[in-house]
Amino acid sequence: MAQVQLNVNGKAYVVDADPQMPLLWALRDLIGLTGTKYGCGIAQCGACTVHLDGKATRSCSVPLSAVGSKAVTTIEGLSPDGRHPLQLAWQEEDVPQCGYCQSGQIMNAAAFLKQNPSPTDEEITRAMTGNLCRCGTYQRIHKAIRRSLTVKP
Amino acid sequence: MNRRDFIRSSALTGGGFMLSFHITAHPALVAETETETAALGDFLQISPSGEVLFQFVKHEMGQGISTSMAQIISEELCADWEKVKVVFPLADMKKYQNDRNGGHDTGGSCTIIYQWDLLRKAGATARQMLVHAAAAQWKVAVGDCYAEKHYVIHRPSSRRLSFGELANVAARQPVPTDVTLKDQKTFDLIGKPKAARLIPAMVTGALQYGLDVQVPGMLYAVIARCPVFKGKLKRFDATQAMKVKGVKKVFTTKPIAGLQTETPFMPHDIREGVVVVADSFWAAKQGREALKIEWDEGVNAHASSEDFEKLAARRAQQRTAPTGYVGDENAVADISRVRKTLRASYVFPHQLHACMEPLNCTARVTPDGCEVWMGSQAPNLIVTEIQRVFHFREEQVKVHLFPSGGGFGRRYYPDMAIEAVFIARETGTMPVKMIWTREDDHQHNLAHLFQHMEYQAALDKDNNLYAWCEKEIRTYTWGAKYANPELPAMAYNIPNVRYDFEDMIPDELVHSSAWRGVVGHGRFFSECFVDEIAAELKVDPYTFRMALLKEEKDVYVGGEHPVSGSRLRKVLSLAAEKAGWGKTLEPGQGMGVAASPYGNSYCAVVAAVTVREGKLTIDKLTVAVDCGRVINPSGADNQIVGGLVWSLTALLYGGLPIKNGRALHTNFHQNKLMRMDECPPIEVHFIESRDERPWGIGEISSPLGVPAVLNAIFAATGKRIRKIPVTKEVLS
Repeated sequence: MAQVQLNVNGKAYVVDADPQMPLLWALRDLIGLTGTKYGCGIAQCGACTVHLDGKATRSCSVPLSAVGSKAVTTIEGLSPDGRHPLQLAWQEEDVPQCGYCQSGQIMNAAAFLKQNPSPTDEEITRAMTGNLCRCGTYQRIHKAIRRSLTVKP
Repeated sequence: MNRRDFIRSSALTGGGFMLSFHITAHPALVAETETETAALGDFLQISPSGEVLFQFVKHEMGQGISTSMAQIISEELCADWEKVKVVFPLADMKKYQNDRNGGHDTGGSCTIIYQWDLLRKAGATARQMLVHAAAAQWKVAVGDCYAEKHYVIHRPSSRRLSFGELANVAARQPVPTDVTLKDQKTFDLIGKPKAARLIPAMVTGALQYGLDVQVPGMLYAVIARCPVFKGKLKRFDATQAMKVKGVKKVFTTKPIAGLQTETPFMPHDIREGVVVVADSFWAAKQGREALKIEWDEGVNAHASSEDFEKLAARRAQQRTAPTGYVGDENAVADISRVRKTLRASYVFPHQLHACMEPLNCTARVTPDGCEVWMGSQAPNLIVTEIQRVFHFREEQVKVHLFPSGGGFGRRYYPDMAIEAVFIARETGTMPVKMIWTREDDHQHNLAHLFQHMEYQAALDKDNNLYAWCEKEIRTYTWGAKYANPELPAMAYNIPNVRYDFEDMIPDELVHSSAWRGVVGHGRFFSECFVDEIAAELKVDPYTFRMALLKEEKDVYVGGEHPVSGSRLRKVLSLAAEKAGWGKTLEPGQGMGVAASPYGNSYCAVVAAVTVREGKLTIDKLTVAVDCGRVINPSGADNQIVGGLVWSLTALLYGGLPIKNGRALHTNFHQNKLMRMDECPPIEVHFIESRDERPWGIGEISSPLGVPAVLNAIFAATGKRIRKIPVTKEVLS
């Protein structure tokens, strides 16, 4: 066990944890931010996607020791009021069904759009292909990402 | 019929009122032999702030039912949709009396069917009380007052009072015994697309699923379960596991292993195993990895899915007595009439549910009772099973209900609650969250039943389809002796139809269960065999189906609803028209169609595919649906699309390969699900229905993607594929 410092959503935390513990479980079980979901534990589904210094990262496969001073952003910290253009577009397009994978989908899309603010349809598909949705909401996710580009928060 | 309508109003301590509800369901939906009452329990609260809390007692698992139920009640209440909130009450067996019309149970695409009348009456009752409250306050005639958008308005004077302002007065109103439902022509919420009620909480990470619950002082547990079905624990050594920092306790699940529910149609599989309890999930998982376990793998030690399939194929050849038949049961073998017989075997292997939220349950056991936190499709079963297994009284079992990240039939079974309560009891009085890892989910979970379908068709000398014979071998029967329906669920005009059934439960490799599309997807291969017959006769498959379907002809196949030839024709022709059926295609392209009833809903799917150099691309699915009245077109579209993506995953990647008794797939890198880059555009069209009531929508499309695409592959390549998944090897 070790004292690990984390910077999550602009706040400093110190957690007492095994440095090998994946960031996902520190976020969920130690800090209490449960918007980041466990889906597979092996970076195959994307449900646990957070931003590390703005980059979309599968938190289930990043040990705490590798996080260091990097800024962690979770779905709870994506926008102060839940009105990020993607969050609004998700509502307008009625995207989620069970909703479980959607925080990961949104976090992945948000990081992608930062890098590529005017993507082609194919680029959106390619960027989102690492995120699984068992309810099959892909068509609407794609539409909502497109729509978010015109949504004003 | 002895009607026992019963609605109770109670004033709330914080102001406003709550309606509780017991009501006779629509007589058309209740057989005389069944219980006549159904309950919504405490279903609706209206507070002085004007907030309407809709107590949602069913299970929300992505099917959008909390939204469509809220739409129905808000419509009749004349509420402002923005002021209606969905809340999740505790499981309560008395309030939410469980039967097919009410209670907590959620499955079989039934909820909307049985809640429709109840919710309308509930909303109308509350509306009427608010209107009466306003009339009393203004001292005017009730007939001059009406409700609109969260207000009651006095027509002659245009005075208005909000629902919030009226809540306290309404609380003192007698409950009307006779309420007037809205004229369906005036509906302005039912039939309008509405975004799911829970989305704001979903997209901000605020929505709590069962796995997210945080109970102070909570510990975590994982179980190392025997990897082989019916295997047992021989011995284990926890020395190394106990050395993992954070690990608190290690013990076996032997006392609960193999326990079955009292409900014969919901059998489950609690495997023998070793529990590791720790102060974090991570430590528990590390502890599990450090266990040394020896299993007695038992009868399935050398079992494989390959051998199982062969066994099923042999059984399919055995002569059995028919479960049901129409005409001459031996017509297919009548050589005086039959010119040619066609025969084909189709296989639908076991399939995982792979709910995105892994199974989990949090429990605490104290001397006073037991508390459970989870998402469940059958909280009633959770309460009764915990009571029975752990000897509690009903009032000692408190179940907190959460939405789930996918249910698909898997969350109907109470096994995870029994595991968690057992673990909590053995651990002490602390709450324990038990989590199935994704590997657990893949390696020893319940799975969709295996089906082998053996078809025969007989053509007479004039090339008429004279007889159809179908034998089904499957691994799950919901406790029934035979599968339901007892005949193929087709409305095709065939003079002789026979259906045989055999179960393979004793030979099982895994424990089979319900899945999305409860009745078993394999039975929908009949739509492929129909195609085979059309091909033999060199008739276009769509034309062939339409010729076999008679207008205004209902066919009784068993079960609740007859299969309507007219409704099938309508969905078929709409899907074909929208898909451009019959248009000229490029080489390597093909279109296939499949249509079927599900409950009393109807669906047809046209698949367009391209197969080039052994590579399959699904270009588009075009769908037509008749589900009666559509409550929420956006949610309904989501369900149809989602069901088809589900179907395409089974088509491309499904199956649960087993060798030496062990599941070979351990996680999503091996058990693949369809991803965005493979997902075709799916276009859904709803039939403008004359029906005034809604029918189920959550499962109807899920079995149809497979036969539609297989038929399209045949049209594109001439290759008939009779087993899924469709791998590259199969196509090349």
